[in-house]
Amino acid sequence: MNAQAAVASIANPRYRYWPWFLLALLALSISFIPLPTSTAVPGSKKLRISASQYEFSPAVTRVNVGDRVTIELLSTDVVHGLYLDGYDLEVIADPGQTATLSFIADKSGTFRFRCLVTCGPLHPFMIGKLKVGSNTLLWRGLALAVLAAAIGFWRLRR
Amino acid sequence: MAIRRLTSEWTARLLLTILVAGLFVAILAGRHAAQAVEVHAVMPERGGWLPGNLSAKVGVPLNLRLISDDVMHGFAVGRQTWPAVDVRPGQVSELTLTFDEPGSYTFYCTRWCGPNHWRMRGTIDVTGEASGPTVAESPEQPLYISLGLDIDAPHEVDVRFDQPPSAKRGEALDFSAPPRFRYRNVYLEQPPYELQQALRVDPRMAELSDADIWDLIAFLWQSQLTPSSVQLGQRLYAENCSACHGEDGDGEGVIAPSNMARNDTESVGGALLPPSDFTDAQQMLGANTALLQGKIIRGGMGTGMPYWGTIFTEEEIEALVDYIWTFQFPMTAGE
Amino acid sequence: MTRSTEPVMSSPRYSGQARYDLTRFPAAKALLINRWPQFLVRVIALVGFLFAILAGLSGTPVGSRNFGIVFIWIVWWALLILVAVPLLGRGWCTICPIPMPGEWLQNRALLGPKGRKPPFGLGRKWPKSLRNIWVQNGAFALLALFSAVVLTQPGVTAVILAAFLFIALGTSLIFERRAFCRYLCPVGGFIGLYSQAAPVEVRVRDTAVCAAHTTKTCYTGSEDGFGCPWGVFPGGLVKNTNCGMCLECLRTCPLDNVAINIRSVGADLTQPRGRKLDEAFKAFIMLGSAFVYSAVMLGPWGQMKAAAYNIGSLPWLLYILVFLVFTFGLLPGLFYLATRAGQILTPRRQSSRKSFTAYAYALVPLGLAAWIAFSLSFVFANASYILPVLSDPLGWGWDLLGTAEYGWTPYLTQHVPALQTLVMVVGLAWAGVTVRRIAQESNNPVSWRQAIPINLFCLLVTVGFLWLFVG
Repeated sequence: MNAQAAVASIANPRYRYWPWFLLALLALSISFIPLPTSTAVPGSKKLRISASQYEFSPAVTRVNVGDRVTIELLSTDVVHGLYLDGYDLEVIADPGQTATLSFIADKSGTFRFRCLVTCGPLHPFMIGKLKVGSNTLLWRGLALAVLAAAIGFWRLRR
Repeated sequence: MAIRRLTSEWTARLLLTILVAGLFVAILAGRHAAQAVEVHAVMPERGGWLPGNLSAKVGVPLNLRLISDDVMHGFAVGRQTWPAVDVRPGQVSELTLTFDEPGSYTFYCTRWCGPNHWRMRGTIDVTGEASGPTVAESPEQPLYISLGLDIDAPHEVDVRFDQPPSAKRGEALDFSAPPRFRYRNVYLEQPPYELQQALRVDPRMAELSDADIWDLIAFLWQSQLTPSSVQLGQRLYAENCSACHGEDGDGEGVIAPSNMARNDTESVGGALLPPSDFTDAQQMLGANTALLQGKIIRGGMGTGMPYWGTIFTEEEIEALVDYIWTFQFPMTAGE
Repeated sequence: MTRSTEPVMSSPRYSGQARYDLTRFPAAKALLINRWPQFLVRVIALVGFLFAILAGLSGTPVGSRNFGIVFIWIVWWALLILVAVPLLGRGWCTICPIPMPGEWLQNRALLGPKGRKPPFGLGRKWPKSLRNIWVQNGAFALLALFSAVVLTQPGVTAVILAAFLFIALGTSLIFERRAFCRYLCPVGGFIGLYSQAAPVEVRVRDTAVCAAHTTKTCYTGSEDGFGCPWGVFPGGLVKNTNCGMCLECLRTCPLDNVAINIRSVGADLTQPRGRKLDEAFKAFIMLGSAFVYSAVMLGPWGQMKAAAYNIGSLPWLLYILVFLVFTFGLLPGLFYLATRAGQILTPRRQSSRKSFTAYAYALVPLGLAAWIAFSLSFVFANASYILPVLSDPLGWGWDLLGTAEYGWTPYLTQHVPALQTLVMVVGLAWAGVTVRRIAQESNNPVSWRQAIPINLFCLLVTVGFLWLFVG
């Protein structure tokens, strides 16, 4: 059949796979639709993060998109490190020797950072969070979750 | 069919036995032969260096296998030239040391591993005849001993500045200080405060203000320091001292609080003794270089200050004190 | 591959879902029937298992450089939760080495039976009151309370693995068949439940054939193979839960009536027969422990990690209290409220307990998704320990493959949050579909209303997980 008829058949709610098509369309738009970017003016932020066995303090910090971020890692007991997911940056600090890491936070989202140097048994779970701008992945995920839950109601009432 | 089954079964049993036995054999064979001495490093609260005492013979290489069982440590031998080696968790570092002279050597941890890191030391007893020509040296007495200084005596002075002394201004004064003030032993033996008192009453200094005299003293001190010495001191300070004394020398290092609490039983008058504040002019300007060197060498009884006499060479201790003076008399760029 | 023949499809227990019988493929059937491939994999697994124990006992106490920790809690766990359970159900049980020493002793053979000797050992029957998975539930929960220490200390892992080995050996000598696997193993408890969601199953082709077969050698054993070690009658298999996929029945059945089917996912979840409260609670234990682990181990709250690690301290007691209350109390309690709300919305009521138990099976895909998402995080972050540990498994300075000096580097951690989101959303969708199907089981035309609060519960739980993983 020609293209016009093909499109007409897909868009027709009577088309057998129409619900799947609609679902896929919704899921894709939720996942990839560009969201408005932050309007905050990028500035300069200095974050003093202490590392001890086995937590970072403060464990959760927030910066704006585009900020020039300087992380000062201060180890308070043994040698620790900090590796930032998503930015692939790392720094190691001995106690008494604060180490700095400077970068521009151009990616938005919530990024976990982990300790880099084995600092004891719980080392793999020594985790903190850096929030840059808004966490669009979480919002998209929540919207997708609502969509997924809706599947549980589809054609429920026969 | 039955025979095939039987042979299958016995093949299976043989395979199982070989593999399981092979596992044990492989592990036993892999156990390192006692050619090397294995030293485990753990946080000092759980033992420090295990074992803490090693023996060696002059001229015979000592093969060491160093491994950490918990956090990052480091290994170095005091007053020797071998570079420090990181002792990493779960990873073996191999090191060979050959001693030329008998005696007792101290090895110590070089990466901070907790509040008691500075206690993490061990000894290597080296026996035998010294190889090579021995320099018949009488062990030099540290200056504070030959001067008969009491390191524990308080040295607080009453000093007030409107602005911190500046060596640059002192140099700009272009004042010819009397020659005797330029001798190195003034830098070594005279506290800045005493020097200031002496200069104050000297009639040739009458035109100078108090601030000018301090600037002059700053300049005199600085002319005794060399950039390479200060640089060495800075590195040693960062690696060994800043955790307690603070990266800015203010006595508020990250490890300081845990050491303070531990020593309160022996503190003066029941108060907690924090690490010395090198930015405190009242304390520093009443001390002389020999005194500071002595404190580093011997450590402080009743405080958490370790003794470094077996760890640092004379050159290193001088460099450290040179650097410490820069907290009072900052080195300006280019000098 | 051909579709199963008519008699199977007409059997009422198959809910009209498609099945593809692997054993119709001669090559596949030969591979599965032959004892050697399975035996070889089992032996390798046993050697690896023993090595993990020895590494834990004599190797370095630094977990990331010890074969025991890396290969059990990163490699084996990743393969289990990411591959074996979702795709093969009880596929791990097929090759698990833990019961093997005991089973080999019982069978008096490593491979097939040599003559009809009675099994070695006392051969007692498992006590009736313990013929459920409550002991496994308890064992899993107990391990979970100590997990922070177990997962990080090679010595502790070694002791626990050795304990499994000895307990399995002991039960094989006292009880008949694989009592450890069926009633004691904490891993078996959860993969049994989750295997209901798997796309693989062992079933008979035609129950009429089994009915006509008087000797039932699949259960009693024959010259070709041993009776089902799991104590299951293959002819009566309706769900995957208790079938360990050991393939004995494939070898014993003289009538070629046993099939290994590939089927659509989640088929057993909507099977109304055989739903039990102990399994329902297992679903809550898995969901609850995934939540607590995600919060404690992957979260930024150091106090909680310290509490979980310092066994015996007051914070630890608080931690286990919160864990137990959350897993055994709060989650099932909330779910019960959801089922009650569903009941109230439905005029003609079903028993509350039946409703609760039935809908709990919808938490299986959700729990599986949560465990996959949780595992993705630490597996990707720490997979780089695998190569160094292969070269230096004991931390003794070996360098077997030349990779001992490789440092730690995270793999693809920037993509992990997106993957976790995807997994959770898919799990929620699957759970919703399952809830829907369960709601439509009853002939009550308004029973669909029961699904509403249950779906909301699932959505709430998913939101909680998303916040923990991605927020």
